[in-house]
Amino acid sequence: MIRLGIDTGGTFTDFVLMEPGQLRVHKVLSTPANPALAIIQGLKELGVFGQEIDLIHGSTVATNALLERRGARLAFITTSGFEDLLTIGRQTRRELYNLMVEERRPLVDREFSFGLPERIGYDGKIIRPLDASALEQLVKQLKQHRIESVAVCFLHSYVRADHERKVGQRLAQENIHVSLSSDILPEYREFERASTTAINAYVAPLMERYLRHLEQELGEAKLKIMQSNGGCLSAKAAREKPVTTILSGPAGGVVGASAIAFQAGFRRLISFDMGGTSTDVSLCDGAIMTTTETEISHLPLKIPVIDIHSVGSGGGSIAYLDEGGALRVGPRSAGAEPGPICYGKGQEITVTDANLVLGRLEPKHFLGGQMKLFPERSFDAIEKLADQLKLKAEELAEGIVRVADATMERAIRVISVERGYDPRDFALVSFGGAGGMHACNLAERLRIPLVLVPKNAGVLSALGMLLSDVVKDYSRSVLLKAEAISFNEINELFKPLLDQAIKDLTKEGFSRQKIRLLRYLDTRYVGQSYELTVPASSKFRRDFDRLHLRRYNYADESRPVEIVNLRVKAIGLTDKPPLPKLEKKGKSLSSAMLDERVMIFDGQKYKAKIYNRQLLEPGHFLAGPAVIMDYESTAVLPPNWQAQVDAYGHLIMRMKRK
Amino acid sequence: MVKMAKKERSFDPIELEIFKSLFVSIAEEMGVALCRSSFSPNIKERRDFSCALFDADGETVAQGDHLPVHLGAMPLSVKSAIESMDFEPGDVAVLNDPYRGGTHLPDITLVSPVFIKGFDRPLFYVANRAHHSDVGGISPGSMPLAREIYQEGVIIPPVKLVRRGQIDRDLLNFILANVRTPVEREGDLTAQIAANRIGERRLIEIVGKYGAKRVLEYMKHLQNYTERIIRLTLQSIPDGNYDFEDYLDDDGLSGRPVRLGVEIRIKGDEAEVDFSSSDPQVEGSVNANYAITLSATLYVFRCLIRGDVPYNAGLMRPIKLIVPLGTVVNARPPAAVAGGNVETSQRITDVLLGALAKAIPERIPAASSGTMNNVTFGGIDPRNGQPFAYYETIGGGMGASPERDGLSGVHTHMTNTRNTPIEALEHYLPIRIRRYRLRPDSGGQGRFKGGDGIIREYEFLAPARINILSERRRFSPYGLQGGQPGKKGENILISRGQKRRLGGKVSIEVKSGDILIIATPGGGGFGRP
Repeated sequence: MIRLGIDTGGTFTDFVLMEPGQLRVHKVLSTPANPALAIIQGLKELGVFGQEIDLIHGSTVATNALLERRGARLAFITTSGFEDLLTIGRQTRRELYNLMVEERRPLVDREFSFGLPERIGYDGKIIRPLDASALEQLVKQLKQHRIESVAVCFLHSYVRADHERKVGQRLAQENIHVSLSSDILPEYREFERASTTAINAYVAPLMERYLRHLEQELGEAKLKIMQSNGGCLSAKAAREKPVTTILSGPAGGVVGASAIAFQAGFRRLISFDMGGTSTDVSLCDGAIMTTTETEISHLPLKIPVIDIHSVGSGGGSIAYLDEGGALRVGPRSAGAEPGPICYGKGQEITVTDANLVLGRLEPKHFLGGQMKLFPERSFDAIEKLADQLKLKAEELAEGIVRVADATMERAIRVISVERGYDPRDFALVSFGGAGGMHACNLAERLRIPLVLVPKNAGVLSALGMLLSDVVKDYSRSVLLKAEAISFNEINELFKPLLDQAIKDLTKEGFSRQKIRLLRYLDTRYVGQSYELTVPASSKFRRDFDRLHLRRYNYADESRPVEIVNLRVKAIGLTDKPPLPKLEKKGKSLSSAMLDERVMIFDGQKYKAKIYNRQLLEPGHFLAGPAVIMDYESTAVLPPNWQAQVDAYGHLIMRMKRK
Repeated sequence: MVKMAKKERSFDPIELEIFKSLFVSIAEEMGVALCRSSFSPNIKERRDFSCALFDADGETVAQGDHLPVHLGAMPLSVKSAIESMDFEPGDVAVLNDPYRGGTHLPDITLVSPVFIKGFDRPLFYVANRAHHSDVGGISPGSMPLAREIYQEGVIIPPVKLVRRGQIDRDLLNFILANVRTPVEREGDLTAQIAANRIGERRLIEIVGKYGAKRVLEYMKHLQNYTERIIRLTLQSIPDGNYDFEDYLDDDGLSGRPVRLGVEIRIKGDEAEVDFSSSDPQVEGSVNANYAITLSATLYVFRCLIRGDVPYNAGLMRPIKLIVPLGTVVNARPPAAVAGGNVETSQRITDVLLGALAKAIPERIPAASSGTMNNVTFGGIDPRNGQPFAYYETIGGGMGASPERDGLSGVHTHMTNTRNTPIEALEHYLPIRIRRYRLRPDSGGQGRFKGGDGIIREYEFLAPARINILSERRRFSPYGLQGGQPGKKGENILISRGQKRRLGGKVSIEVKSGDILIIATPGGGGFGRP
């Protein structure tokens, strides 16, 4: 079976096609107004249009609709008395020291937030039945206002969903899209549940139209959609819960990075994706980690997503001297327009300009030589600022890179050291346009012994999509004291979640042998508010204490524990052929050399070799200082580093032994 | 461009930025650990805590963006601990005495020295302060309407809770015997000790990497950096004397309004902030200690700085604070102070901003709700026969600014604590929340409208004692430049169908089925409508 991963990005739509024995990579300019056009074009160019293939697609339709507030005309229905739930939120302001702080832009107009008389208690008792006539009145109003989509979140609906279901059934009769909080996220904490449900309802109609259109166009191909939890899902299931597709692009990158690292023999890795405006890092300790505490566009999103930490530091980050005399880099970015100074238009110094001045970027071969750079513009601008500081241009350029590196180092520390992991036990897997220029430096600062720059680093996200399994998450709040319940009883409580999971994955076409069900418990000491997720085994209590010690520096075995949520991660294993090895043509390393140039490290000038990544072969051994140019990414090998090309074509970089 | 004196040019702008980010990240990391592993709702859900690092003199180097009301008080705690004891490696000091570096009694601060090999005295300190749900005293939640601090809870002067790595069980047991929820307190103190350990460990790592000399140098440079920026900010304010006055409704006992007055004198890049025209300290608990007034002053000037600057000792250097002892803004023991921290701090902020509005009207917003609407209650939970104690605060309207409408239903100025989810509250307490909405038309009209306050309605499912400590029930949050004031707050009790208006500061017994309604003030409007 042919599998194809398609990642729609802002500029390019990437394709990675896997046939037995070979990978094919293709790129097409994205068509933001209708992303399907680029997809169809790519399929035709690859010669697979209309064929019966497995197609896994990472879409930005939902994400962009949310970020740009172009979603559905939305209404919010809740228990009467709590109509402003989404506006009040957690009652806090975003910035502490801003007297004129702005509001987070809500998804629902206040006039479209409605309360219905009803009340369910924390214990599931109906305190006040749903007022049927008020519901009828409301349906009329919704139609009057031409509401397209509705989010429903009643208090305590995670215990008892009867009232939400009644509203859902009634609205379905009117052909209004409806998202129920008890379906989207049956967990306690009303604001976070309501927010996640509102995001789902907000993007659902748009996603529905897009996917329906795409499926029609694709004909025989089986369309799957990438999700932010690192798994994919049939287009049909994704339509019901589009909230799971938000942030799927970066998730694809992490899946791709870990798949490559696993195959290359590294089970513990930190993925490092440095782009133009930001850097995403994620830690994988034998398995990809997810979190339920994400925010997007200042709105909480509580579904499980890959735990990716993002900082505003990238190739386009702007460097400037602030009024107190500190050299700042980012978070403002020159982006693609006007871009860094060396692109010809920009006026503000960026990290890319600094790299160019240091010889870590080769102007002649940028984007395969298709884009002209202006190194003298970068140099002049950096020299001008350097003069002010009584520094040499190269010193300032190194300073800019160091400040950017410090921000990224901090990001990696947040996901490793601060969570009790020692970076020395991990490999750094670097991708994204600018990552390879900084990876070795960062590794050195964090004492990471090894850097892996994958072959096809530019399309890693699409590759990850291609390699992903079908994954669905299920959860349920139980709020039980662990002492009051036996492990057998806990197992009983899991049953409905497991039954549902098997039912759903069977629908996705998996036989029972291909289904893996992982069970977890969100656990905390009685009285705490944040949970740690541990595998649901009879030893969960011990695992919880250990994890608590690792994360927060203390544990108390005698303190009672509370089980807050049950979680099931259901995985449908897809058939994936292993990644093919790179063909060895037997050419020498020197034939891959493009050029030589001067590169600066720690104020010293070095003569560095420039290599063409496409011509490197397994077994080639490179000594730093060197620059390895790929079509859209560059890797820098510092003087005290060396690299080897492995059987798959990945660059494995290590520090030279002293 | 900054004029740089010779001694200041000894720093490297690149290193400065790198150390700045390092120091701030340590404080933030301590905060994350504390918030996630603690037990008091005030800490974990409401984020009523602060973490910071200090140099060898106890001067702040960096503080996490935690809670403004702790800004000034943190270094005072550290200095008070340094003065009171000889630290040894592995020690941790504990304190809450408002007259010795504390804020109010529920805020318990832990201070740890950081020893570096080769030095016989601590080179740095780390500290964290967190609001515990109960520290004893005459009412659950320890925010009573008291006349003396002795009624407010257990007073802890700076003493060693941990000696050379070993918890002093005797002292801990003594503290725990004086509070209503000892198991929870012990958990919070453990989380606080662990958070300090994280800060300590990170500082030792940094010294290992960069050397003590460079770290110490850049701590000084970072304080100078913040000083340069605040001086530039002060310079942007026209020279002159600007005064303002406003009132607290009452002290909770006498019914007499309490005057707060300030004169800000700006000259070049320095400021004098003089509170001499404020009333003498009062019998009720709205007295602020010096730390609170300092915090509010620091907060207001910090807000004038555009952009992000790390908070540290440099911020206060060009600002001279004049607060006569024995006034409501610098009370003498044994005055009760529980409300100084939460209520008077907001009014101090209001008068400072009111004065500054005369100097720089285009940068100052109208008054925000000006109260934290503190609601404390406790009793016996009929479901399990166990005592319960709970404390929460309610947001209000934010004042409209020269640029936009004020936010609605939000905490402002000295606090930014989160609400507790209703679904959590109802699960753990014998209470039902019947309403939690914005309060329509409570924001003052104006060219830009003040934010609306909140209405929160509680139904008690068991008899309980309630304490309410709230303000702006008599005097409205002011509008500016022709904007209307925000609507005053209201407290109402419905018992057996009888509706009764309560005062702003009351302590009452309620029966099962009684309903309490708190309507919080709106923000003031800005500019003529």
